[in-house]
Amino acid sequence: MAILSFSNSDRLYWLGRYSERVYTTLRSFAKHFDTMIDLKPEEYADFCKRQDIPNIYTSKEDFSRRYCFDENDPNSIYSNLMRAYDNAIVLREEIGSETLAYIQLAVYAMNKAKISEAPLLELQKVVDNIAAFWGMADDRIDEANVRSIIKLGKRVERIDLYARMNASPDEIRREIHRLSVRVPQTGLKYSTSVIVHLNYMAEKTELDYPTIVKEVESLIDFTEIRPVIGL
Amino acid sequence: MAADGLYKYSEQINELLARYGVKFGIYKNNVFKEQLFPFDTIPRIIEKAEFDCLERGLKQRVTALNEFIKDIYSDKKIIRDGVVPEEFVYSGSGYLVQCEGVCPPKGVYTHISGIDLVQGEDKNWYILEDNLRIPSGASYPMIARDICRRSSPATFEKYHIEDNRNYAKLLRRTMDYVNTGGHTVILSPGRYNAAYFEHSYLAEQTGAHLVTGSELTVENDRLYFIDYSGKKEQVGAVYRRISDEYLDPMNFNKESVIGIPHIYDIYRKGNVALINAPGNGVADDKGIYYFVPKMVKYYLNEEPILQNAPTYLPYYEKDMKYVLDNIDTLVLKDVAEAGGYGVVFGSKMTKTEKEEFIALLKREPRRFIAQEVIDFLDIDIYDDGEIVPRKADLRAFVLMADEPLVWKSGLTRFSRDPDSFIVNSSQGGGFKDTWVLS
Amino acid sequence: MKKLNFSYHMQLTFEYPVRDHHFTLRCFPPNDARQQILTESIEIYPKQYSSTQTDSFGNRCIYGTASWEHNYFAADVNGQAVIDKDKNITEDAYKTGLFRYYTELTRPGEGIMGFYNKIKRSGHPLETAKHFMDKLFENFVYEQGATNISTTAEEAFLLGKGVCQDYAHILISLCRLEKLPCRYVAGMMTGEGATHAWAEVFDNGVWHPLDPTHNRLVDDTYIKISSGRDAKDCTINQGVFIGGGKQKQEVKVTVEEIL
Repeated sequence: MAILSFSNSDRLYWLGRYSERVYTTLRSFAKHFDTMIDLKPEEYADFCKRQDIPNIYTSKEDFSRRYCFDENDPNSIYSNLMRAYDNAIVLREEIGSETLAYIQLAVYAMNKAKISEAPLLELQKVVDNIAAFWGMADDRIDEANVRSIIKLGKRVERIDLYARMNASPDEIRREIHRLSVRVPQTGLKYSTSVIVHLNYMAEKTELDYPTIVKEVESLIDFTEIRPVIGL
Repeated sequence: MAADGLYKYSEQINELLARYGVKFGIYKNNVFKEQLFPFDTIPRIIEKAEFDCLERGLKQRVTALNEFIKDIYSDKKIIRDGVVPEEFVYSGSGYLVQCEGVCPPKGVYTHISGIDLVQGEDKNWYILEDNLRIPSGASYPMIARDICRRSSPATFEKYHIEDNRNYAKLLRRTMDYVNTGGHTVILSPGRYNAAYFEHSYLAEQTGAHLVTGSELTVENDRLYFIDYSGKKEQVGAVYRRISDEYLDPMNFNKESVIGIPHIYDIYRKGNVALINAPGNGVADDKGIYYFVPKMVKYYLNEEPILQNAPTYLPYYEKDMKYVLDNIDTLVLKDVAEAGGYGVVFGSKMTKTEKEEFIALLKREPRRFIAQEVIDFLDIDIYDDGEIVPRKADLRAFVLMADEPLVWKSGLTRFSRDPDSFIVNSSQGGGFKDTWVLS
Repeated sequence: MKKLNFSYHMQLTFEYPVRDHHFTLRCFPPNDARQQILTESIEIYPKQYSSTQTDSFGNRCIYGTASWEHNYFAADVNGQAVIDKDKNITEDAYKTGLFRYYTELTRPGEGIMGFYNKIKRSGHPLETAKHFMDKLFENFVYEQGATNISTTAEEAFLLGKGVCQDYAHILISLCRLEKLPCRYVAGMMTGEGATHAWAEVFDNGVWHPLDPTHNRLVDDTYIKISSGRDAKDCTINQGVFIGGGKQKQEVKVTVEEIL
């Protein structure tokens, strides 16, 4: 295993989470946007509620603009991508320049989409670059713990988002299973009781989505596991 | 050979550099911004024989500088023998009293030196400045070369060009040579530093760990890296990219929060290598620059191979008179300033400015040096569709391992502004690759 | 020649607990040509890890760390020393140059320069330094509380009053104006109270200690702790830590002659 500092383990985890957040919310946004075109112009209110973000938007145009691109809106996809970037930029040595390049390219694509007349078309490139980032992470990162921490972040975020969007029990089960396999490979301290509880909940026919969100968020608490420096 | 038209791919090459985040950070109105470092694809080409001569001169110069620093912080023979007036040592801002009596591992002070040169129209190379503290810039030609080779493999097949991507190996060898046992780390102040790209790129390329001060701790007279599970790993060499005064709040600036308390205490005991050694500033001061050729003679008993730009020290009466008589043809530099600041051309001053300057010069003669203005040999750059001549300098890198190693390349920086002599990246210039033919 | 018992006690009390406390202490009298330490005991509380070293001026230091929370920090040094004022502390002249240059605390301003210009200088280094000391003693008043540890020589001079640190800084500033190497000394003297400070001026291969506060040569009743360019180089207790609020430092020094 690579020697890895605590703060970089934290960053790898959040790089996984934010890259997944950008990827899944962009795809979900595209789907909802499609519905908004001819069916329900207020679809975005429902979207905000599910995502547990304040509905600060005034119209569907305002929503599609600001939710995607507003750098001052902390919940925008733009802001989430910048958080992924902020974590990635200090991880060059852990993830490698080739892998890091795809987060950088996603940022360039996002900035291009922001000024484009057809932003949704351009946003596809953001999705593509994140997918490429994961592929590179899988392919190019030699250290198993480094790779696993990014993937753990990605799994946690995916369960979180899928549960918020009330995804099908099968999808959630699959993700919880993948999470359970991944977490011991990270070398991070985590709560085993959370894993047991998540697996227990996943077996029920009716899923308790809010509890799943709460549990998965509490799997790893970086403020709790920080090693004590000094003697 | 105009580099066989690499410039045709300028846009794509710069796009690739952007993809890898080849940037430097700057603060504008207190806001941090990352800026791409514009790359000009036309290389500076140096013939083998010419570079061989530079290489010998650079090795000689850095060896003498290393001897000087060692002497100043121990025996002070050069002061005793009256070669360098003590005033230039003790009242220079680069002298650190904390370094008195401290010998770094293997006696190496100048692990990584960035020596700035210019080529005059007479084809002679002149040393402009020695950078012995934390010289940066090697990463840029390294990564640019990698991309240029991709864009025109034929060019690199046809010409025999020294591969400069071995910089990481040279650096690793230099760090390993002084390592006192344990890991090698690169200590960065963090991503909001102008050269953060370089810190992270060199860490990746050398396999050293990029760390910040809070990840290191001193215990039982050793330095440790604390890993995410709380395990302690000993560190034997720190390539620190933070300046001396922030290195250790117990020994330097006590307000520093990016340093490591007591790291200097264990360095003093020889239990960790700091790269470069603290206190090197005593030798790269603009006032000390004047004495470097004398150091070569004094320590090595050799004639200096490389020349300084003709320099006058108003501290000496004879030089003061010359400066006052010829001020219009000279460039005047404040020894305390760096990065292209504190530089004035006699010819560009108004009458009152000149009077004020002369009064200041007479009051504080030790503060200034004066140099003849060198006619730079312009080199071509590709600017907005055409090839135009511009001023450029060359930062050569010399690494001190078991022997001095000269990197067969260098950072060529140019000024975009045709009238400007100032090529610093912090003032908006670009860079070129430097090809040394083999 | 005198044999002295000495005891140095320092206690730092914090308003709120501190943690991750890194310290460097410089309160250990050295062996040199004039003084010999016969016995010594050192106690530092709290410490988890500590080590010793010699700084760039040859001063003995103990540095270390106390990570856990604590409300006070203390050091005790007790011992016996033999002092012989007739022995000389020698050095090569070319190595003393660094004590000819000003530091922030010893840089003269118009006040000290004006004073310097009015004093007759003989050209003989030690005599000149003594003459500076006489003149300073005539023109400066000992008063506690007027100055603090970061008061510069010039500021103290303009106030016209201060303590031993200020006397030493002004004398150093005057000597350096004359291009004489001169250094600051922190130490202790017979009696009870705080630490003391004086200066050493270099002449003809020898460092000569002068006590400007008492306008006399340093004799067998003084124990040297450390020396440097100014008081900052001789900081007795230096620390960085997290927390603390207000802090109070108490120092008690006792030196008695053993008859």
